Amino acid sequence: MEQIRKIAEKTLLEAATTFRADKNKIYEECMKAESSANCRWIMEQIMENAATAADRQSPLCDDTGIPHILLELGPGRSLSGEMIEAVRAGVADGLRKLPGRPMAVMGDDSQRLDQSGGLSGDPAAMIPAPIQLLSTEEDVIRLYILMQGGGPEIRSKTYRVFHKHDVSVIIDNIAAWAAEEVGKLGCTPCTMAVGIGRSHYEASSLMLQAMAKGRYDSQSPMEQAITDRVNALGVGALGLGGDITTLATFLKVGPQRASGVRIVCMRPCCCFEPRVACSTLSR
Amino acid sequence: MKQLTTPLTEEAVSRLKTGERVLLSGKIYTARDAAIPKLVELIKEDRLGDLDLQGQVIFHTAVSPAGVGPTSSNKLEIEENMGILSDAGIKMHLGKGKISEKTIKILEEKNAVYAVMAPVTALLESRTLARRVAAFPELGMEAMHELEVRDFPVIIASARGTSVY
Repeated sequence: MEQIRKIAEKTLLEAATTFRADKNKIYEECMKAESSANCRWIMEQIMENAATAADRQSPLCDDTGIPHILLELGPGRSLSGEMIEAVRAGVADGLRKLPGRPMAVMGDDSQRLDQSGGLSGDPAAMIPAPIQLLSTEEDVIRLYILMQGGGPEIRSKTYRVFHKHDVSVIIDNIAAWAAEEVGKLGCTPCTMAVGIGRSHYEASSLMLQAMAKGRYDSQSPMEQAITDRVNALGVGALGLGGDITTLATFLKVGPQRASGVRIVCMRPCCCFEPRVACSTLSR
Repeated sequence: MKQLTTPLTEEAVSRLKTGERVLLSGKIYTARDAAIPKLVELIKEDRLGDLDLQGQVIFHTAVSPAGVGPTSSNKLEIEENMGILSDAGIKMHLGKGKISEKTIKILEEKNAVYAVMAPVTALLESRTLARRVAAFPELGMEAMHELEVRDFPVIIASARGTSVY
């Protein structure tokens, strides 16, 4: 269990401090494609920030985020309550070491809502969201940790779309939502994360999976179509006006049911997100 | 690249152009939604004490062990007080996000500017030389702080009645 705890701590620190190789590469490509000198300058700073954060093992952003955990289990693998507690303990260790911004609200239901109970000084009080369980064909137990910032949560939307049996209607809706929200995000260029399911819970879960597993070097035609529509908005880095408003789109389409409605969850992730790392707990 | 060091003079501010890139150094103040209304009360009651706002910068951020980074400046408590803060000597309001035409006009009248920066916390941390609580310690990470900074990269988002947005 001690080993699992250490792995969870390390995974959280990596998620909060480090750009993956495909993210560095997409930023380099987008800087070349960007015609606005000021937007290129902002993207240069984002990359320099990532290098500094990785070097110092310090947060990419002062909004260090809310931990979200996904566990993926292969056939024949099992997960005990003790293992889950070890993961949670490792997340707490990671938040203290990072350090996470101490902004967990204390108190009873009412106090937590109106924030009258004050804030905890302990970064580890920012407890993770409910854990999502996934299955895989591989013979492993895999841990994903995502750190979800507050700004993108303000700009996210989960709602129904009457699709009229035409995929382009769904893409039009996503583009329209993005047009309303991405300019207000502030921390662009974003990455569009989208989940499409049968219920609000499922759509949000699929969006989180898209964030965990999406790759900047692998884009489907639907993902590219959303990216093109969002970039056509011309918001640019930091809203300064430019060619690159989103770096890419991560889309996960789940099972659907016979209905005129699809439930779509859209999250315009900030310029550092997805802040995600993955580790193997056992082989 | 233009270099600016606080306190900012009237002349230096009047020469700033919208869209210009600046490296900002010197002592600056931080305050966001919770601290700014309290600071405005001190101004109205003429109780600023040791706080010297002349030629100063207000950076809209919390200051926590995780570092600093701009919050949205168009929050009500922040944007609606830019005028009175400018009257009290603030020359640069530093944050992120679009501000209103009304605020842009007010800043022009008071020879003050609005600047934005990327939320590059690790980079800013590497360029922060010192920090101390300047006022309202009861607000914790949202207290007003004084930072001593070197080469903070900012873009002038609004000057002389124009805006990048």
